[in-house]
Amino acid sequence: MDRPNTSSRRWLECWPRPWVVAGSLALVAGIGVVDYLTGLELSVTMLYLIPVAVAAWYEGIGLGLVLAGASAAAWLAADWLERGLVDRPWVLAWNTLTLAGIYSVVAVILAALKRNQDGLEATVVRRTTKLREEVGQRRQAEEALRQANEELQRAQLRLIEAAKMEAIGRLAAGVAHEVKNPLMTLSMGTDYFLHRGPAGADEAVLLRDMKEAVHRASNIVNQLLDFSKPRPLQLLPEDINGIIENALGLVRHLLSNNRIQVVRELQPQLPAAPLDRTRVEHALVNLFTNAAHAMPAGGTLTVRSVLEAGGDAAAGAAPRLAVEVEDTGTGIPPEYLSKVFEPFFTTKPTGQGTGLGLAIVHSIVRIHGGAVSLDNRPGGGARATLKFNLEPQQYPSNHAKKAHSGH
Amino acid sequence: MQKKRILVIDDEASVTRSIKLNLENVGDYEVRTENQALQALKAAREFKPDLILLDVMMPEMDGGAVAARLREVPAFKDIPIIFLTAIVSKEETKGHEAVIGGMIFLAKPMDLSELIQSVEKHLKR
Repeated sequence: MDRPNTSSRRWLECWPRPWVVAGSLALVAGIGVVDYLTGLELSVTMLYLIPVAVAAWYEGIGLGLVLAGASAAAWLAADWLERGLVDRPWVLAWNTLTLAGIYSVVAVILAALKRNQDGLEATVVRRTTKLREEVGQRRQAEEALRQANEELQRAQLRLIEAAKMEAIGRLAAGVAHEVKNPLMTLSMGTDYFLHRGPAGADEAVLLRDMKEAVHRASNIVNQLLDFSKPRPLQLLPEDINGIIENALGLVRHLLSNNRIQVVRELQPQLPAAPLDRTRVEHALVNLFTNAAHAMPAGGTLTVRSVLEAGGDAAAGAAPRLAVEVEDTGTGIPPEYLSKVFEPFFTTKPTGQGTGLGLAIVHSIVRIHGGAVSLDNRPGGGARATLKFNLEPQQYPSNHAKKAHSGH
Repeated sequence: MQKKRILVIDDEASVTRSIKLNLENVGDYEVRTENQALQALKAAREFKPDLILLDVMMPEMDGGAVAARLREVPAFKDIPIIFLTAIVSKEETKGHEAVIGGMIFLAKPMDLSELIQSVEKHLKR
């Protein structure tokens, strides 16, 4: 059964192995000897069927027929030697032929049965293999389909995001026009009174407060405008550590006012990365400001820069620059983690945050072709991670689109 | 010496009024205001200004078109025009004033000191 080629055996296609031929012929001869010695006609006659049947089953019709003939001959020899030929030679010849015929028929039937069974098995094996292949192919197709579906969903999300940004852009332009003109009137009005010289000290304070309020409102509208009007990136080979130092310099008053200690873990001699210096600085300032606001009673701000080795090239993972900004503040409630990059999402009290800080960070890193994530540190506080590619060709090319054509 | 003449064109009367009062209060200017863009050319012809403050977004005609019409008149070909716009941010103007494509822009809302600084600078030109 476990012999190779069993399934492909055909009638007489393979010659029986010689030791099998010799063995089975010896067996037939042995039975012949038993036949001669015992003279038990019928039972020994049936005994010859065993080698014939086994040979036909396992070795095919060829050896089966040979053994059928050999068995008949052995029977004839045994009978002949036992009783002599003279009294009834024709009966002996007839009996020999009959036996040879019976043995042959048994051999043919068994060989045919065996052949059928082998064919059936081969068919089953063939069909099983085919089925396995089909299942494998289907799995592959399903996997490809699943990946395509995921890509489609991602594209849809990007599309929705783009549409959202466009809507915000239109909204921003409208808001800017509708809000800034009244602000202009207020600004000019307060300036007028400031220059005229107000009646008393209280009036002077109130007027300055009004000027300050106008500035604040105007800044919020400006942030909205800057956010919604992506301008072309100006990518130059930049030293990320230098950008980090600059950004820290811009917020040093805020950090020292909040009694925040700054820890720098900057990897020296990082390769220059193609970055838009002003924008990345802007993103970092936003992150530092958020960290400072998360630590009103003081704390530690850790800024880390590191070159991340890429994975295997087949996965397309090139080395990246990673910048981590960690604070020791209150962290972010887990239910908000998925929303922090959405425009206008803020946990700060009304009037203290525009909800655009992290959205701007997200948009800046994204147009660089990078990735940004925010999570809570195991020891408390939040950690923002920015990753920038070192290869400029990985950058998107359609970010130069202006949201508005007129003023 | 004759007062410098400034024409202020903006569709919002409160804006033009506050600019007029401020300029006349702090400087030696004669200011005329116009709230209808379509009347801008007529007002300029009558007033003969030394400098024009021009709003960009106006309902009848935008500031760019008004400026183009003014520039067609030989008398106003080289007159300084300062555009007042709400749709640029301070970051874009890199300070209070921006020159984009040879045109001068001031971002609304500006401080009076910024307005005076720009006006003085371009009047001297």
